[in-house]
Amino acid sequence: MTETSVNILLIEDEPQIRRFVRSALEEQGWKVLEAESGQRGLIDAGTRRPDLLILDLGLPDMDGVELIRDFRAWSNAPVLILSARTDETDKIEALDAGADDYLAKPFGIGELVARVRALIRRHVRQQDPSPQTAFGDICIDFSRREVLRQGGAVHLTPIEYRLLCALVSSQGKVLTHRTLMREVWGPNHNESSHYLRIYMSRLRQKLEVDPAQPAHFLTVSGVGYRFQF
Amino acid sequence: MDTPSSLPVPLRYGLSIGACLLAMAITLPLRDKLDLANAVMLFLLAVFVVALRLGRGPAILAAFLSVALFDFFYVPPQLTFAVSDVYYLITFAVMLAVSLLTTGLVTNLQEEAERARRHEHQTRDLYELARNLTGAASLAQVEEAVATYLKPDSGKARLFLLNEGKQLDTSGCSELEKQLLNLAFNNKDAVSGEHDGAAPALYLPLAAPMCTRGVMLVQPAGAARSREHLLTMASLVAIAIERLHYVDVAQQTQLQMSAEKLRSSVLSALSHDLRTPLTSLVGQADTLAESSLMPEVLRDSARTLRDQSRAMNNLLTNLLDMARLQAGKVTLRREWQLFEDVISAGLQLLRPYLGNRPVSVELAPNLPLVEFDAVLLERVLCNLVENAAKYSHEDQRIEIRAFVEQQEACIAVCDRGTGFPEGKIEHLFDLFERGEAESAKPGVGLGLAICKAIMEAHGGRIDAANRPGGGACVILRLPLGNPPAFEDEAEHD
Repeated sequence: MTETSVNILLIEDEPQIRRFVRSALEEQGWKVLEAESGQRGLIDAGTRRPDLLILDLGLPDMDGVELIRDFRAWSNAPVLILSARTDETDKIEALDAGADDYLAKPFGIGELVARVRALIRRHVRQQDPSPQTAFGDICIDFSRREVLRQGGAVHLTPIEYRLLCALVSSQGKVLTHRTLMREVWGPNHNESSHYLRIYMSRLRQKLEVDPAQPAHFLTVSGVGYRFQF
Repeated sequence: MDTPSSLPVPLRYGLSIGACLLAMAITLPLRDKLDLANAVMLFLLAVFVVALRLGRGPAILAAFLSVALFDFFYVPPQLTFAVSDVYYLITFAVMLAVSLLTTGLVTNLQEEAERARRHEHQTRDLYELARNLTGAASLAQVEEAVATYLKPDSGKARLFLLNEGKQLDTSGCSELEKQLLNLAFNNKDAVSGEHDGAAPALYLPLAAPMCTRGVMLVQPAGAARSREHLLTMASLVAIAIERLHYVDVAQQTQLQMSAEKLRSSVLSALSHDLRTPLTSLVGQADTLAESSLMPEVLRDSARTLRDQSRAMNNLLTNLLDMARLQAGKVTLRREWQLFEDVISAGLQLLRPYLGNRPVSVELAPNLPLVEFDAVLLERVLCNLVENAAKYSHEDQRIEIRAFVEQQEACIAVCDRGTGFPEGKIEHLFDLFERGEAESAKPGVGLGLAICKAIMEAHGGRIDAANRPGGGACVILRLPLGNPPAFEDEAEHD
């Protein structure tokens, strides 16, 4: 898969929404398959092997979270959730089940395309990992554990560095508080989530141009954090 | 079987004498042919039968009478009380002793049996009461079961239960009664007392496993039901009343839960059914607005369409939030976190709406952790920033400041717009209140009311004021509380 030849499977029961999502994605040169039910979607996912899955969480015939779990059992392609629900616990459940990002309905074409592109980029990078990465005025060299800002070294504590790695390696993906705590402090951590918030704040202080209005280390209220280039 | 006491006393003594005479009548004609010992046996039998059937007194009479008759009619010299042979005195003594002993044994045994029967009767009645109470589905049925139990005494009972305030309901009682009732209730012990100055009354506390449920007044405390049995009855009644209480509680809870479930399913169905068409609307309009095939005029119309649809969605979100908040059933997911997270997340969400408008965020150094629900506070901030944008010019800066003031963590959202109309500030946060009575600006004044409801749910406040030099300022205040401890990592790299 490259960034241009992408097969996207769209599982959504509303034909009107399918229509504009499809046209917006095709405009970008991506190929779109449609499925109007969860059952149909699972079959299509199995036979057509999409590079990315866009899934409406409120399907009438099956629970979207269940579908994600089934899909994740054999595929690591990115999953983007479309959700009309406002309850954060549903989103967290979907993200913990393996979804990568979510978009609350209603959403604009620009937002949709940006999210899809970010997910595709991450997927492409994962297949071809590079020890160096850069965003804003920051350069990271993972092989040398080095972080540079405008050429000057930035000192990060071990926890800050682990947090940075977790975020950057999952760029574009929403990481729930639980996932981040596990990645940074290990599976048996007993710190509560305020530790995460404090270290996140310090990371922003060190790496963002305007920490109060961050451009890369974004908060998703009630859910977790997302890193974007 | 007739009980010894079921016949009148003179008749019983008469029968006793008759029994002795009968024994004599049988043995007297055979006096010379039979050994005297046989006559003694028959007399003893008579005493035994009397003791068995007529009770203790008549049996003692029969014992003495038998000895006298034996002496007079049988022992030579006959027809006198004189005794020729001194050995007969021993016979008399043994005869008397055996008679009295038999009497004692038999009557004791009978009394014992009688007691046991009475006891069994009481137990059966209590069992009956317990069964009736178990089936009781209302307080009236409990009272009925108690009335049935007290019937043999023609006793009456009244229940004094707890009122809503968990106090003993003594309305309509005299001062003395109230004192006695409270005494029984507070000491959890039975109290005897006069009632109405007439029949003696017993005040029994209704002590159930969880708490004392009230006091039962029983009168008259008759003889058929002993005090112990009445106490047992009171505890059975107490358990029945407690059971009824919890049945009631469970029913209420279930009712509440199903009402709650209905409300939340209606809300989420509404949310889904209204958002789905809005999503199509926003998406399609956006497609048109971004399409290069369209003339610029039409693209502009499409952009308006999209923005209006988004505004409608905001309105919908506010309405649904308000419905949840007003039901009072919003559970806050409070966590200790930093203001900067929620401010940046809110601004991120509003970015498409704010466009190029300048926004400044000023965080006081070393802001503490504050406990709040991030999603709800983000909602408050978005409403305030949107308001600020709505009521000020496109290139006027919106300022957000976070600081600590007088033990409260505060966020101020300020603009340089038209400000609030004078005299309207105190009503700003009322439902459906808006700055200008009728204006072209969208919104129905729901936003600020929701902000207030959310802040109050957090135990916080929201204030509004006009700024010197023009513009409006809304300040959110949350109590500081006790943030959890934070241990900095030990650095060894």
